[in-house]
Amino acid sequence: MEIVRTEQVEKIYQDNGVPVHALKGITLSISRGEFTVIAGPSGSGKTTLLNLIGALDKPTSGKVFIEGEDIAQKSRNELGALRLHKIGFVFQAYNLIPVLSAMENIEFTMMLLGIEEKERRERALSIMEELGIAELANKRPNEMSGGQQQRVAVARAIVTNPAMVLADEPTANLDSATGSSLMDLMERLNLEKGTTFIFSSHDPLVMERGRRLIHLRDGKIIDDKMVSEAAKNTE
Amino acid sequence: MLWKIAWRNIWRNKRRSLIVLTSIIVGLVAIVLYDSLSVGMIYQMLENQIGSYVAHIQIHKNGFNDNRIIQNYVPSPHKVDSLLQKEKFVKAYSKRVLSFGILSSATNSSGVYLVGIRPEMESRVTKIHTYITEGTYLTGKSHEIVIGKNLADKLKVGIGDKVVAMASSLHGNIGAEVFRVVGIYQSFSSQFDKIYIYVNLHDAQNMLELEDNISEFALLLENSELSQNVKNRLSTQLGEEYEVLTFQELLPMLVLQIDVYKESIFIFYAIIAIAMIFGIVNTMLMSVFERIQEFGVLMAIGMKNSRVFFMVLLEALILGTVGTIVGFILGYLIYIPLSHTGIDFAMFSEGLKAFGVGTVIYPVLTLQSVVSALLVIPFISVIGAIYPAIKAIRLEPINAIRYV
Repeated sequence: MEIVRTEQVEKIYQDNGVPVHALKGITLSISRGEFTVIAGPSGSGKTTLLNLIGALDKPTSGKVFIEGEDIAQKSRNELGALRLHKIGFVFQAYNLIPVLSAMENIEFTMMLLGIEEKERRERALSIMEELGIAELANKRPNEMSGGQQQRVAVARAIVTNPAMVLADEPTANLDSATGSSLMDLMERLNLEKGTTFIFSSHDPLVMERGRRLIHLRDGKIIDDKMVSEAAKNTE
Repeated sequence: MLWKIAWRNIWRNKRRSLIVLTSIIVGLVAIVLYDSLSVGMIYQMLENQIGSYVAHIQIHKNGFNDNRIIQNYVPSPHKVDSLLQKEKFVKAYSKRVLSFGILSSATNSSGVYLVGIRPEMESRVTKIHTYITEGTYLTGKSHEIVIGKNLADKLKVGIGDKVVAMASSLHGNIGAEVFRVVGIYQSFSSQFDKIYIYVNLHDAQNMLELEDNISEFALLLENSELSQNVKNRLSTQLGEEYEVLTFQELLPMLVLQIDVYKESIFIFYAIIAIAMIFGIVNTMLMSVFERIQEFGVLMAIGMKNSRVFFMVLLEALILGTVGTIVGFILGYLIYIPLSHTGIDFAMFSEGLKAFGVGTVIYPVLTLQSVVSALLVIPFISVIGAIYPAIKAIRLEPINAIRYV
């Protein structure tokens, strides 16, 4: 079942008054349960594409559909609601709320959804146990390592069971062992729970885990392929 | 959870928050002390006027207040007497004979307002007996007179000296009587001390050929707030021949002053508020600009604009409320002892006496002052946070997340 579809998406933004053609006619479709990596060098447009898929931005032309809904037709508040209900975000810099503990950070999106405190607590505890971070429950972000913070960020992203989780360079600030462990976690969640993950990254650690690799260069898709387990093993 | 976030955000930059809190606390202490002192001064002026002469209600012959001539005596003192004895809210009343006149000594003379009283009755209504600084209060013996210190100085008389009072009598003659000074008083007002002289009622009646008639009934009620009710009742019962006046009607300038003060205190509040609002705007703007990336994330994960807006206002509201509570407690702790001991403004005593205020002023904190003080800063804080909150919700999540 299709979650995201883009049709001839163009994105032009101004950089100090100079128009930059970030995306040039991107057409793609991503289905539920995929573990997709959008890869490419810096400036290739992968983060711009991820922002459009995440309803954080609107295309200059073309269309972006999230679960069939055209984001261009939505107001700022409607896009906010769409992100809240359907999309989980994992950011490169973790971006946890610094004044909240790990548990409270995980509860936060549930609070925005209007879930009662008791249920929030139960669900947050359950996901923390599942991700092996229960001991971090009362720690604030500044008391955790980068890897721990990113695990909490993953927990925050998936706790509301979104249609997809978008992760922008999730391992960029982590050492390779921590990054690998984080990818293990997300891979497990994808396999066990069927959570759809879409990454933007040029980190080989992430790219080698993707079961679908979309390569961008200069705002265009130059390659879009499914990577089989066999192929991965061969590599 | 928003409350929790707002509370914790305040303490992210402790020094900045403490500076704002200190300004709020100082402002609130200033509000509490200034307001209570001003109210205390006005109440004291009112209390002094009521307690020294005016009382809560006065009853005269209709027209006396506009034309204070001796011919305008109370038509039937017995009728008023019997009515007042039945009136449950009247604590005490006094009968007076009043006349403008001249008081002369061997060396000088002065225009005065002669008040004939029954000393015992008067002492239950006013405090003139407590103002005696030399000699004694009237004892009821003939030809006693009590005068103010300023008048005694002007006439160069002391205790035991003779003075002559002259005034126009009921029948148009010049009534004159020799009195011996038995007491000198000093009230809250130098003006009052120069004018008002007290003699025994029967002496005044004889001198002014009034027989048993009197000019005025002065009533002290159980409570000043009852004055309008009691006036209405007495007016109905006494009819048109009489005028029944409350202290508000007798002291229109003072009542006006109180009303003007009630309005003008808001100017003081406004000045404090304007001074404070810039601090709040500055603090909240800095707080928002420091957290641009965080706001971007909050909006990216789906927090509505209205919630972000509310969160910024909430932080300011908490800041204002905490400052208000601490400031009010501090102000109140300073106020409590001062309300008992008063503040001695002896260095301004002459000026204050000209205003009809004593040298020691007792601050009075009214419910209105408490409510205003408690509401104004939190309200101002929220107003001051609106602009920073608008700045926060105008952020584009996509740009804000990348903001460094």
